[in-house]
Amino acid sequence: MLYVKNLRKSYYIGKTEYPVLKGVNLHVAQGEFVAVMGPSGSGKTTLLNCISCYIPYDNGVIALGGQKLGNMDDTTLAKIRNEKLGFVFQDFMLLDGLTIRENILIPRIIKGSVGKDGENLADQLIRLFGIEHIQNKYPAEVSGGERQRTAVARSLINNPLLLLADEPTGNLDSKASRNVIESFEEARTQLGATIFMVTHDAFSASFCDRVIFLKDGLIYKQLEKHSDRSIFHSQLLDTLKEMSGND
Amino acid sequence: MNMKDIERKLRHVGYKQAKLYFFCNLIALMIITAYILLMKSPTILTILPEGGDSRRQMYMIFALTLFGCVVFTIYSASLFFRKKTRQIGILMALGASKKQLIPGVFREVLTLSSLSSLAGMLAGIPLIYFLWNSFQLLVESSEMTLHLDYTALFLSGLFILLVIVISCFTANYYLSRTNIIDVIQEEHRNEPVKKLGKWCGPLGLLLILIGAILGYSAPEIWLNIFHRYPSAFVNIFYAPVFVGLYLVMLHTVVHGWHFDRKNPYHNIISRSMMKFQGKQTVNNLLVSTVLIAGACFAIFYIPMLATGQLVSVSGWEFDYMYDYRLDQTVPSQTEIEKLAASHNLKLKDWKEIPYITLAQDGETQVEEEDQSFHYEYQQLLEETKYVSETAFNQLTGQTLDILSGTFRLITDKDDNAAMYAKRSDSVLTNMNTRKTLSVTYEGLAYFSMLTGKVPYYILDDKDYAEISQGLSSDWMGSAHFFNADGEDIYAFADEFFHTFVKSFGPECEYPAYYDRVNKIAANEHGEIYWGDTDDMTKISLSMPDTSDFRAYWAFMPKFRSLNMNDFMNTFAVYLMTFLFIFIVCVTTACVICYTRCQTIAINNRYIFDDLKRLGASPAFSNREVRIQCKRVYHTPAVVGMTMMFLLYFMIMYANDGRISIPELAGMAACAFVLVLIMLLIYLVYRKTVTIMRRELNLI
Repeated sequence: MLYVKNLRKSYYIGKTEYPVLKGVNLHVAQGEFVAVMGPSGSGKTTLLNCISCYIPYDNGVIALGGQKLGNMDDTTLAKIRNEKLGFVFQDFMLLDGLTIRENILIPRIIKGSVGKDGENLADQLIRLFGIEHIQNKYPAEVSGGERQRTAVARSLINNPLLLLADEPTGNLDSKASRNVIESFEEARTQLGATIFMVTHDAFSASFCDRVIFLKDGLIYKQLEKHSDRSIFHSQLLDTLKEMSGND
Repeated sequence: MNMKDIERKLRHVGYKQAKLYFFCNLIALMIITAYILLMKSPTILTILPEGGDSRRQMYMIFALTLFGCVVFTIYSASLFFRKKTRQIGILMALGASKKQLIPGVFREVLTLSSLSSLAGMLAGIPLIYFLWNSFQLLVESSEMTLHLDYTALFLSGLFILLVIVISCFTANYYLSRTNIIDVIQEEHRNEPVKKLGKWCGPLGLLLILIGAILGYSAPEIWLNIFHRYPSAFVNIFYAPVFVGLYLVMLHTVVHGWHFDRKNPYHNIISRSMMKFQGKQTVNNLLVSTVLIAGACFAIFYIPMLATGQLVSVSGWEFDYMYDYRLDQTVPSQTEIEKLAASHNLKLKDWKEIPYITLAQDGETQVEEEDQSFHYEYQQLLEETKYVSETAFNQLTGQTLDILSGTFRLITDKDDNAAMYAKRSDSVLTNMNTRKTLSVTYEGLAYFSMLTGKVPYYILDDKDYAEISQGLSSDWMGSAHFFNADGEDIYAFADEFFHTFVKSFGPECEYPAYYDRVNKIAANEHGEIYWGDTDDMTKISLSMPDTSDFRAYWAFMPKFRSLNMNDFMNTFAVYLMTFLFIFIVCVTTACVICYTRCQTIAINNRYIFDDLKRLGASPAFSNREVRIQCKRVYHTPAVVGMTMMFLLYFMIMYANDGRISIPELAGMAACAFVLVLIMLLIYLVYRKTVTIMRRELNLI
């Protein structure tokens, strides 16, 4: 599904180079729910932004569903973002002037037309994520958790190959965070979505099948969930402790 | 639902930003249009002489206003897009291609920029009518009737085009960015200004001073070194003023002018807010400063002219003075007394003295075709007036003894005699007999009423009698002086003035700077005298109430009540033009400052929210708002006004190496005007603070 090989990316301030990704290699299989964790400055968000085609990268290969994402013109990249990727951001990125339902439909509208199937899928997603009662409200009128579930619904409206989430629970309380993570689980189980999530939160990451730890621009370790979620949660916390202990 | 529906809904959400952008463009176009219409109005062009200082000042301040409006337009467009880019960024993040977004964005920006500009242009027409008609409530003058040349709107059209081009360039700039994360976060992007050391402020002040001195003296130095009239290029010497201003503004934003050693963290929040949007702040402060300086330059014209007139008139020794050529038949003393009696006035202190007009020699600049010049001695250089020592002593009660072969220049106590009056040994020529008299310059004599555009000199009685022989009546004249007792002084002065003008024949229909000596000399050399072809010399005896006539007629009498009462009417167009320019410049500066404060409120809302979360009291946040606003309004006001006041002072001093009493009085009046301007700006500042506090939910 997603294949990343030797990905490198640096930022420049003046003439000084600050390498952020120093050769990242990873893959995500169809239907998998993967999280990326790591300390601040480890390159998590930069990795996600490169996969999202939001920022250009310096070297390496990113392939999605067998298609390489580099060296494409703006229109093709936009088409990939619209049809093959779904996005969930930490600060929701909903458009204030549109209702919850309209926000969910935006990727469809951008694609061309909503159509009956689009409306039906929107209804299905709205029901699935329990936001029927707010579908005609505006983002400013609903809670943070409801906004994020709207964002999850929006990310799935075009049946993307991969759903990318950047700290989706970062701005939410524990109850809302759990609801959002459960939304991801439902998206995976009921719609077969593949999810790639960047997070700081070990609790949210414990719902994933696999967690990739990033440190100083390189993959430090990967953990797979073989047993109970709470045991996996403990393993994640231990790894985080181990990473900070190595500093 | 489709993309158009989304765009329509998003436009509705961005209504506030669009309104601000619309407002900015509308104000810019309204001001520019009103200024252009005024500048090209036949009313103004008729009164302000072509090539004259007043017209140059009007054009110069227009250039400043235009510069301000262009910067303001660019700023408002970028402000609009900084808010708009979040929407654009989200749509791009969700897969909208630039091709999809371009039509909607351009449609919106083109509609907004063209409609706002068009509305601004149309609003400029009622604005100029409103202001001019308001002025007419203050001053009633036939010359004040406003005639507009609507073809000048072509220039406004060009500015509209510029606004549209700027909006399209800005739209294209934001759409062509490839980093979507940057686009989304554009709203929170900081624009730190390059930090220079604390030396930049003092260096800026020094550069302003150097630029002012260099710029002012450059034309004179150029003239003396190259013997060539300077081109507009020489104004480049004023450039250090602008560099200096930039450095001063930079210092204000980065360091501030007050450093509290005991409390170094004082104002740290407000300063950091300013510093991290430093580029825009410095640009805004710079433009506002230049506009306020331009406004002061325009408004100073009024107090300087009025005070000069007031001081000069109050120094006159008699209430009435008139002079005429002896080939003219003006009302006699009896007739004037009769006229005065009809106004219940009694004339007293009647004095009359004869004078003669002679040619004076000297060196003059002779211009070549390539604008260079050389000095050339001419015996018949210009006409000057002479009285005998006995006549002068009889008139003034003084006991001057002028030795034979010498002469003195008559001036007033502040030596305001004609600026270019010759003050050295001369050869005088009788224009009828061509007999000459060489005289040595002996200094000054004092009598205010015999100072004017054509200078008066005193000769020894014997010399006067000798050189007068053979003079025809058109080279001889008589000057009369008297006072009047009674109430209805103005009505008499006005009627006498019109009667007096009517008594002159067409041979006296010329201004004071029409030089008969110069004309004869030119004709004798087979040349055409410039005054016979130049429009500037056209004044008419049938229009004695026009400002040109009253300011320039060669025999314009000096009637105290007439000069005091008709001053506003006589100079109405001049005064109102500069008042208009002042209003335009101050309004533009205030609008720019207001918009900047709005931007601060919009961009720093999250900082004020954070401060609230950190426990900042409303009083603390309000103080931060006030500090921000204060810098935006007060810095340009203080710098612009101080700079122009000092520049004016320097010009006054540099003119003749001293500050005369009328000049000092004028500067005092200017200082009073500055206090009023400061008060006006303070009121706008207070209003802006209230609006900002409301927008930031602090009240």
